[in-house]
Amino acid sequence: MRLRFQKLSTSAALPNDAKSTSTLPEQAGVLVVRKHHFLVRWSHWLNVPILLGLILSGISIYWASPIYQHKPDPNTGSFDVAADIGIWICAHVPGQHHYSSPPDWIYNHMSLGPGMLALALRLHWLCAYSLMLNGIVYLAGLIMGGGWRSLLPRRTDLLDALRMFRYYLGFPFAKLARRHWPHPVFNTKYNALQRAAYFSVPIAGLLSVATGWAIHKPMQFHWLAALFGGYNAARVWHFWLMWLYIFFVVPHVILVLADGWDTLRSMIVGWSMRAERSEVVANES
Amino acid sequence: MNHNENCDDSLQPKDKPSTNLEPKQRRAKLPKADSEDANPPLPAATENEKPAAVEAITKQLIADRSPSPSVGPGPQTDEMATVVAKSVSVKTPQSFFGEQPLPALEIAPRVLRYQSRRDFLAFGAGTLAALAGAGFLLPRDTLSRSGVRRNMDSAEKEWFLNKALRIDDDVAEALYSVNRSVPTYTKSQITPLKNNYNGSTPDPGYIPGWKLTLDGLVSGLSISLDIRNLLTRFSVHEQITRLVCVEGWSAIAWWAGLRFDDLLRAHPPMSQAKWASVESSVNLDASGNPDPYFMSVDLATARHPQTLLVTHFNGQPLTVEHGAPLRLLVPVKLGLKNVKAITRITYVAEEPRDYWAERGYSRYDGI
Repeated sequence: MRLRFQKLSTSAALPNDAKSTSTLPEQAGVLVVRKHHFLVRWSHWLNVPILLGLILSGISIYWASPIYQHKPDPNTGSFDVAADIGIWICAHVPGQHHYSSPPDWIYNHMSLGPGMLALALRLHWLCAYSLMLNGIVYLAGLIMGGGWRSLLPRRTDLLDALRMFRYYLGFPFAKLARRHWPHPVFNTKYNALQRAAYFSVPIAGLLSVATGWAIHKPMQFHWLAALFGGYNAARVWHFWLMWLYIFFVVPHVILVLADGWDTLRSMIVGWSMRAERSEVVANES
Repeated sequence: MNHNENCDDSLQPKDKPSTNLEPKQRRAKLPKADSEDANPPLPAATENEKPAAVEAITKQLIADRSPSPSVGPGPQTDEMATVVAKSVSVKTPQSFFGEQPLPALEIAPRVLRYQSRRDFLAFGAGTLAALAGAGFLLPRDTLSRSGVRRNMDSAEKEWFLNKALRIDDDVAEALYSVNRSVPTYTKSQITPLKNNYNGSTPDPGYIPGWKLTLDGLVSGLSISLDIRNLLTRFSVHEQITRLVCVEGWSAIAWWAGLRFDDLLRAHPPMSQAKWASVESSVNLDASGNPDPYFMSVDLATARHPQTLLVTHFNGQPLTVEHGAPLRLLVPVKLGLKNVKAITRITYVAEEPRDYWAERGYSRYDGI
């Protein structure tokens, strides 16, 4: 069980922990745990503008030559799947019927705008070099703060991940039925699902960088492109890795907000009020 | 900004034990700090401090030197008898890869509050900097579509983005080696290559009277060569390589022609030449008006054994769509450097003008 050790807020603690918390008000300090290294925190937040820039400019680049094409549609003349989706949106989504150029709907909403390939390429390189530097800073923070150990997969992960899945699946129903639905107990910094996510995203970053170089320098790094199945396949990889970040960020933001202020704050200030009970007990004994 | 003052005063004595402050003053202020510490629950306190005024930033920056010693077990003055921060984590023997418990600390509330405020201010400043950076870098059209009306296009922006591009060009140049070949393919892997003249293919009438002019030679003369001249004097090399467009599409095509390197040996450029300016005077713009095309190619790339002056495509003489009668094929560069229907090659010492670099693209285009 995780506890919030807050000065003069012992009422927040659970009754069965009264023994360990009762001594706290007499102490001069507040008990916190160091959660995220300084470099990890900064590189974490720097990812936000860098990834946004990469996605916006990346879709502008995609627009110049879409990966997913088909034979031109006899009715619309469209050959691009993203244009088809735009046409569908303008035909079916309320309020979009009078959109001036339906085939461009996706691009106009997700990229820098029309006719900006040259600028998009320059922004993409700028953000890509920033992402690589930021990745190095992040790794340095993980090593210096020792945080990398919390991200390593372990043997119990599959079972623990299933327990977390069960918890998330049952959570809405338990809320509706006003039933007590306890969060599975882990004595690690992250649960198995978090660990899987936080372990995969840096690897995805590495793959994005590798596929990016494979596309950017397909002659000098032709072996790298071959590793991903050739130049065209590397473009497909690069495209879907972008979606991986989008699919990661949405639940990431929802869950951190659901988890509370302490978790969000810890990525800014580095410490958390949620000290592990075992550590306190060990200290007092 | 009451908290702010407390922090400054309470932290100063530790930093400099022999401070100029009167002992009376310090004693007078500290109890106030203590009594306040006991009052608000911490999260609320840090929340309130988030939208702090700008002058607080400078104040905090001045006080910034002190917090790290306060966390460690530094020497304490009498007034600071209370422990500011002490480590309470337990060190149990662990394997190298095993997860260790998070280091726990006991920190004086005011120190914690001070550090939180500092971090929030720093992150707030970082957010503002990121927004300013986005406003600075994004094009006007993009900004106006997201509701920003101000024109922020500037010469500094162009300079900065060009600088970023230059770094990438330098990387590309460092990666290039005259000894590294690009992959070649089999005839079964050939893919269609579209006519990329963008709707205004030149009239083939120029082909019969076509001549290649060479300038900037060591001889100081200007030389004109016709296609028969080129085909009889130089050996023809075949290769099936990939042509990659800046837009992202690519095509595997079967080419044949003479090596640029052989032409350079037969008609050596002047000694100080480092660049070739490759031009096509027959190029047209989208509406069919003359639009001469000119490209810079560094001589190191021109000397690559797979850089060809192509005369044949798919086993047939080049058609007008693919740049008859002679085009440049430089597979280590983007398609836009592969000039069709070359009419003139000039060797120069300084980097010459480049059609697409003048339109915001890279100059080097090494891939």
